[in-house]
Amino acid sequence: MKRWALPLLFAFSLTVVVAAPFVGAMNVPFSAVFGDPASGPARLLWELRIPRVLLGWITGSTLAICGLVFQALFRNPLASPDMLGVSTGAAFGAVLYIRLGLAFSLFGISGLSFAAFAGALLATFAIYLAGTVKRGGMSEGTLLLAGIAMSFLFGSANMIVQYSGGYTDTFRMMRWSMGGIQTVGFSSVWATLPALAAILVTALVSSRELDLFVCGEEIAAGRGVAVSRLRKLLFTIVSVVVGVNVAACGPIAFVGLMAPHICRKFVGEDHRRLTLASFFFGGAFLVLCDTAARILWAPAEVPVGILTSCAGSIFFLWLLLRER
Amino acid sequence: MVSAPFFEIKELSCSIAGSKILEKISFTARKGDCVCIVGPNGAGKSTLLKCAGGLIRGFSGQVLLEGVSLPAMKRRLAARRVAWVHQTGADSLPFTVREFARMSRYPWRSSVGGETRADEEAVASALEISGVSDLADRKLGSLSGGERQRSLIAAALAQGTDILFLDEPTSFLDYRHQAETLALIEKVNREQGKTILMVTHDVNLALHTAASVVAVKNGSVAWRGGRGELLDVKLLKDIFDTDFEIFSSAGGSRYVAPKGLMI
Repeated sequence: MKRWALPLLFAFSLTVVVAAPFVGAMNVPFSAVFGDPASGPARLLWELRIPRVLLGWITGSTLAICGLVFQALFRNPLASPDMLGVSTGAAFGAVLYIRLGLAFSLFGISGLSFAAFAGALLATFAIYLAGTVKRGGMSEGTLLLAGIAMSFLFGSANMIVQYSGGYTDTFRMMRWSMGGIQTVGFSSVWATLPALAAILVTALVSSRELDLFVCGEEIAAGRGVAVSRLRKLLFTIVSVVVGVNVAACGPIAFVGLMAPHICRKFVGEDHRRLTLASFFFGGAFLVLCDTAARILWAPAEVPVGILTSCAGSIFFLWLLLRER
Repeated sequence: MVSAPFFEIKELSCSIAGSKILEKISFTARKGDCVCIVGPNGAGKSTLLKCAGGLIRGFSGQVLLEGVSLPAMKRRLAARRVAWVHQTGADSLPFTVREFARMSRYPWRSSVGGETRADEEAVASALEISGVSDLADRKLGSLSGGERQRSLIAAALAQGTDILFLDEPTSFLDYRHQAETLALIEKVNREQGKTILMVTHDVNLALHTAASVVAVKNGSVAWRGGRGELLDVKLLKDIFDTDFEIFSSAGGSRYVAPKGLMI
């Protein structure tokens, strides 16, 4: 099973990405791909469906790899990018943007995304600062707790802003914090793709170090890993990458937490294989959930974060219970 | 000109959170030596080993390997000279014996590119020497304490260093596995020519294995000498603050036992 797991995951991912744009509240025939670009089905396909599927795939892959790196870094199976203040920091930027009634866009990207990204950077910087203030640097446990504390701090700030807003604003804020990958055109795809490339390359290049991080700081240091320097570097890269993604799609729950665990069941513990598996699986999983989100209550949509949590946890429970 | 000793600790002092753990520790080791650091619990033995290996950075004094400062070396380069066998931490790891030994090749590998032939050979021969080739595909967590300890020593051998640091290598092991582990440590020292720095609270282990002994008490060197000289009840009482008796068998082997534990 393990030898074929990676090729199978790759094939699965490719199939999902190729098929998903044609499925929806209205199915699009394959002929629309090369049909008259001004026709309804072709525009639906090229302006809405394909960008959305690509954005979903990029987001799922990004969150899965980020979760994998964080879990190794903190030696904690419950570590995920949403836990460490980055997502709530991004949400803080977003709710503030909505509350202040701002409305601008740059390069075809909404100002909401910029505000969210600024919030994510603020949170990252705050945690990082807390980590440097302490003499002798932070241990994995302290950094994790500092991140969780930061997350609650921003969470409470978000609630204050939400509470002070009107009904419409509050609904927009709540909807944003459920996450979603609705998009028109390719600008969000181009904005998030470099972040995915960055985290993919980072995780592959440091896969040996991640293997050793799993063994604990002392073993990793004894084997020659520059533990605290690398931890800071990886922490920063993951935070910025997640920040970019949350800015585009809002916080999408569960993928970053569970996709790495699901991949471990398929390919084992080697982080090079795990990175590739998370890359393939995370993307396909989110696209599947988003396709379901488009279809289930068509023409209305379910926020995709609800589906990822629901489907993912049931799937994961099944994997756990099936063993032995 | 007198050449620098192979391994040397000079006036090493270390404080953690304001309290002094080690004070002005100095000793040397020749290439191929097996040096045992003994002392009671809390004497600072493990801290000493961690300072010497650069796992703790906040200390004063020098740790020199062939005259070069070991803590000042890049981690990766230091890991080509010194390998660790830690007291704990490997019991619940998800890796197999072979995977763990492969991971120890880290300081020799580039971040891109796969395993080289030298890596494969180092791993295979380390498993062979340690007698764990048969266990290669078992997970570390599924092994008995003795099997795991030999696997950890195998991984340290695979790291291809000329020095091994062992932290309490026989604690938690039953008699048979203690004996097997000791035999392996001796083999590694004599046949592979590895220089060994080992921390233990077990006097018999030190007497059995070490060429020279450094006794640490309350953070300072209480005594230093050859292992034969350690067979002295007065000295042992000074180090451990409890009374000892030394037994000799008809065959000439000897054994140290604390009076408080005798039947």
